[in-house]
Amino acid sequence: MTQTIAPPAPHRQVTRKVTEPPVRRMRTFTRPLQYLALLGYVVFLGFPLLFLLSTSLKTPQELQSGDLSFLPRQFNWANFGNAVEKANLAHAAGNSLLVATLTTVVVTLISLPAAYALARFRTKLRGVATIWILLSQVFPFILIVIPVFLVLKQVGLVNNPIGLVLVYTVWCLPFALWMLRGYVAAIPVDLEEAGAIDGAGRLRVLRSIVLPLLAPGLVATSMFTFISSWNEFFFALVLIQDPGLQTLPLTLARFFGAEGQVQLGQLAAASLIATIPSLVFFLLIQRRLTSGLMSGAVKG
Amino acid sequence: MKRKALLGIGAAAVLTLSGCALNGGDSSSDSTESSSGPVTLTFQSLAYQDSTVAAVKDIVDTWNKKNPDIKIKLTQGTWDNVHDQLVTQFQGGTAPDIIHDESSDIMGFAQQGYLADISKYLSSDVKNAVSKDVWDTVTTADGKIVATPTLLQTYVVFANTDAFAAANVKVPSGKLTWDELASIAKQLTANGKFGVGWGLKQPTAAVMNTALGFDGTFFDTKDDGTATIHVGDDEVAVPERIHAMAYDDSSLDPVSLTQSGTDVLPGFLSGKYAMYVGGNFLAQQITESAPDGFKWTVLPPLAGSAGAAQAANPQTMSVSKQSKAPAQAAKFIDYFMSPENQAKLAQGDWLIPASKPARDAVAAATKGTPVWGPILKSGEDLAGAPFQKAKNYPQWKDQYATPALQQYFANSISLDDLKKQLSDGWSSIG
Repeated sequence: MTQTIAPPAPHRQVTRKVTEPPVRRMRTFTRPLQYLALLGYVVFLGFPLLFLLSTSLKTPQELQSGDLSFLPRQFNWANFGNAVEKANLAHAAGNSLLVATLTTVVVTLISLPAAYALARFRTKLRGVATIWILLSQVFPFILIVIPVFLVLKQVGLVNNPIGLVLVYTVWCLPFALWMLRGYVAAIPVDLEEAGAIDGAGRLRVLRSIVLPLLAPGLVATSMFTFISSWNEFFFALVLIQDPGLQTLPLTLARFFGAEGQVQLGQLAAASLIATIPSLVFFLLIQRRLTSGLMSGAVKG
Repeated sequence: MKRKALLGIGAAAVLTLSGCALNGGDSSSDSTESSSGPVTLTFQSLAYQDSTVAAVKDIVDTWNKKNPDIKIKLTQGTWDNVHDQLVTQFQGGTAPDIIHDESSDIMGFAQQGYLADISKYLSSDVKNAVSKDVWDTVTTADGKIVATPTLLQTYVVFANTDAFAAANVKVPSGKLTWDELASIAKQLTANGKFGVGWGLKQPTAAVMNTALGFDGTFFDTKDDGTATIHVGDDEVAVPERIHAMAYDDSSLDPVSLTQSGTDVLPGFLSGKYAMYVGGNFLAQQITESAPDGFKWTVLPPLAGSAGAAQAANPQTMSVSKQSKAPAQAAKFIDYFMSPENQAKLAQGDWLIPASKPARDAVAAATKGTPVWGPILKSGEDLAGAPFQKAKNYPQWKDQYATPALQQYFANSISLDDLKKQLSDGWSSIG
């Protein structure tokens, strides 16, 4: 009986080591490389921001010295104070925030049902709408800016943030629609049918099944819209004349002079400040920007 | 049911638009005011340097205190975008009443009839303060003055005096010819350092402006703006000399020819270039950015076979024809042109006042800063050039002249090729 006892522990350990799957060994070897690649990617993505930070802390003498060192010789915080004071950044940021938020809300409200209809309903309009979306993207700004300006002037929306919201909505809508349509199409119809079989009405299916699954799409679309509106310069330049209504890109342009002159330190400081709201917005909603929610939802 | 829904949507849209309209901005409220009563006029300034921005604000504040019936509302524009902005605003009838720009840009708007003739509103003091040559750059073929010239820039040679001393080369004074510049540049070239750095990424303006020093006129322009081109030896004398310094003497860094003026500045400040050619306004950046102990000066105006003449392209102040109060707008411009105001602005931007009394005021105020001497002197030889009134010049400049000159400065084409490309380009659009 005693001879039938299982082999001693050391022997079992040896056996286990010998039989360790090759995939696990490979992972042990490749994991550090993966992290290294990831680190390189993060540095690559983050470098522009770090460079902006470094530039914003340098003195004009250091910026013109030809010295490319990343760390400033001395930290020149005055660039931030001058930038905020000169460009009235806080007020301009408020204007940009208002315009970008309103645009994002309007674009999302319009594109959500439109994208669902385009993805789900097989009508003749679907092809026409698709072509319209693509065509609307091919006209350069400079071609349409004068007609847009004249139309907005007729309805009293020149020099008015609502006019900008209207223009940005029209400008962002086609791409947002196109993007969201793809997300809707990726949701299996079977899920909606399953909900209907369980007794849910059309609205209940949309609210309880489609909308949660569309969350990543909505986040991506709203981010695209927000950042596009936040950064837009040309329409704002033409449509806004009152200094009190100017958006951030317009105030940042003040740091550029004629013939390539630029107040680089102050511009970098102002740009860094201008980037913060976009980053905060991204941080707030990035958790929603996940994919794979539907993996395994439908079998077969 | 569907019909009702459509009607509902339509009504909502109309209400939304009308609501927006009711809350709309007052883009044209100022322009509807009577020209006889109190008016508020918009003035778009392109001032860039902090000191100049402050000076403009100060001028406007002082005016507003003294003239409660003609209130000036100051807005800030940018040089990079002013053309596109004005195109749209003129089309839409919302251009500022008082417009800050430069003559090479504003004359196109004048030809299209967007600018008021302000000659009858300007005082004789202002008219007499500016030379006829400079007035010509803001006067249309039929004699209308569509702007007042304010500040001017010239191309000057900045010199690192320590580099001169180290090479035992005397800093020129009195006059400087192109031949002397080439000779000095050779003497200053050694140990990987160049005699000259010149940012000529956009070379056309520099070449056209300095060509007058060799009687290089390029165009024969008629009153209606049509022009014929002639590209002879005088016209290409400047590019030929630059090319020779870069590729025959190796005294001018050819890399700098592909960069902008501000890109080349660090090379000058770090001692890589002993001399640096650029607009005189760059003196402001040198003052602000030069390392401690950096010794520099401005050399005498560069003279060719026909003297030190350069083309004048002054900054300007105009009145929109759409303004409801052109007389009041011109009255403000007249005040803006006073020697005290112009001197204040010129010192902030390191530019040359078009007005002689203002130049004298700057000279008096900057006695302790010797570099101002040659800068102000270079303004005395400024003149109008035929290209400034050639109707298709902007198109020729962008499509033919700039690419051709860039190729020549990159040593990709010969001088004959350059001449041919410049002439053929004009023929294809002229």
